Amino acid sequence: MKRIILLSVFVLLILISFQQSYAAVSEPVKDGVEVVNQDAVHHILPSPYMVIPFVLLLLMIASGPILYHHFWEKHYPKIAILLGLFTASYYLAILNDYLSILHTLAEYISFIALLASLFVASGGILIKVDKKSTPLINVLFLLFGAVISNIIGTTGASMLLIRPFIKINKDRIKPFHIIFFIFVVSNIGGALTPIGDPPLFLGFLRGVPFFWVIENVWFIWIPTVAFMLILFYVVDTISVNKQKKNNSEIEYSGKMEFKGTKNLIYLAIIIISVFIDPGVLSFVPSLAPLPFGIREIIMFSVVYLSFKNADREVLKANEFDFEPIKEVAFLFIGIFLTMIPALQLIAYEAKVYSNMLETETFYWATGGLSAILDNAPTYLNFLSAAMGKFGLDINIKADVIHFVIQDDIYLRAISVAAVFFGAMTYIGNGPNFMVKSISERAGIKMPSFFVYIVKYSVPILLPIFFLVWLIFFH
Amino acid sequence: MMQSLKEIVTNKVSGLTYGNRLILPFKAHFLKVIIEKDVITDFSNSSCGINIIENENYTDLYFLEYKNLDDVISEFESIKMVVVEKGKDIFDFKNHVKLNIYLQDHHKISIEETDSDILFIE
Repeated sequence: MKRIILLSVFVLLILISFQQSYAAVSEPVKDGVEVVNQDAVHHILPSPYMVIPFVLLLLMIASGPILYHHFWEKHYPKIAILLGLFTASYYLAILNDYLSILHTLAEYISFIALLASLFVASGGILIKVDKKSTPLINVLFLLFGAVISNIIGTTGASMLLIRPFIKINKDRIKPFHIIFFIFVVSNIGGALTPIGDPPLFLGFLRGVPFFWVIENVWFIWIPTVAFMLILFYVVDTISVNKQKKNNSEIEYSGKMEFKGTKNLIYLAIIIISVFIDPGVLSFVPSLAPLPFGIREIIMFSVVYLSFKNADREVLKANEFDFEPIKEVAFLFIGIFLTMIPALQLIAYEAKVYSNMLETETFYWATGGLSAILDNAPTYLNFLSAAMGKFGLDINIKADVIHFVIQDDIYLRAISVAAVFFGAMTYIGNGPNFMVKSISERAGIKMPSFFVYIVKYSVPILLPIFFLVWLIFFH
Repeated sequence: MMQSLKEIVTNKVSGLTYGNRLILPFKAHFLKVIIEKDVITDFSNSSCGINIIENENYTDLYFLEYKNLDDVISEFESIKMVVVEKGKDIFDFKNHVKLNIYLQDHHKISIEETDSDILFIE
């Protein structure tokens, strides 16, 4: 069955590439991506009913792991692919709009190339810290994680740091340690660069300048991270004091060890390759009509080479498994394809109701949906809507740049909300599930989907996000 | 004659696996078993996680929610367990042994004491 699914995706890819090649013959290509983008503007609006596969898939992602765990574990690839193919067929056969599909596939390949390369490269690195933690050390650790997540992504930072974080706390680890790690390292920390979090990377691919995020979000990032760390310090100090009463002690050698140094080179290659894009560096050749570029080839090469050359002992110690990235790859091909109608309809509706949409609407709507859906497509949906408000099209790079310069408050609200609110649930952002999974494999009983929300997200995150809104977007 | 847990680990005595069944060449009290993301601590008869059957010279573990252990445990992964050898004081933490079970070819499994690299919170 898996082979059939993979074959279907491959055939779809080839078919679309051929169609694009045919189109390229009939009209001269200036810049592969740009022409595709410009043509996409003239797409026919899809039927509103075509949003159903997207909603259905997202509902299943939320409910599957809880309500029908084993069925979901076994069948999610088929469900995601079939729903995705349903939407793709509608576009190809009924709307005759292959450009929307090609554009989406190009975006998906970029997205998964970045995630997969960071996942595999960081999986070959082992940081051993046999040191006793204190609340201050933990705070510094989380702060380091928050900063580094902007350089190697929230996925890379989470993969790299969750194990040492659990290890230094092994005598007193509690679920709240992991939850704060998810809040700070896996989500909020990565709000400063497009490498930090998938939605920002999607924005970068659409034309948002690389340094726009750090220049426009740092003054929100600093107080939010600081507040979160102070809160963690208080909770952790209370926990340490309780532990002292229990008087159980584990001996620590104080040793620190780093294995898999060569994988740092792979991480550096991934980060540099983010910029290897014809839209960023003019000398980089475009591979149009293929739905990927040099950057994606480099990233996938890193996946292969970093795994092939990884220290087997490190992989064993990290209990490396492709399952988490496989899960993301399958679910997101479904999400990316099924969300095309939603993106186009929201952009259209936003133009119609543009006067009713204000900054705070975008902040809370993007945030609310990023919490319960995935934050990457949500970001795109609302960026599309905000641009639609000004008659601009998300599919045109020039429009995106124009929007960024003229109406930056909207993009700031959408960027902050998409990244921050991704921490609200396990499904809000890719690394959340990975951190939960690693912690559970280490023997830590993590709170369920709903307990996470009720016990941690709502009482801790919501008040902070409310303050962010009140101070910066009200 | 059945070997002690220490001898089994030192002499690298293999166990076996068939489908969802793990055959361990020792007898023990099981305190915690981790397979994939499932942390199992309920070993009572009403548990739907693991069914433990003790035989004369070995112990059977049936993972009730899995059809085939080979399908879920990959090359670098293991099934982790905290056990206390039969006859030893279960209340003494020094007797709690953390084991990693790696699936190998031809139905064999290797039994290793967890080293410091592996994350395993009891």
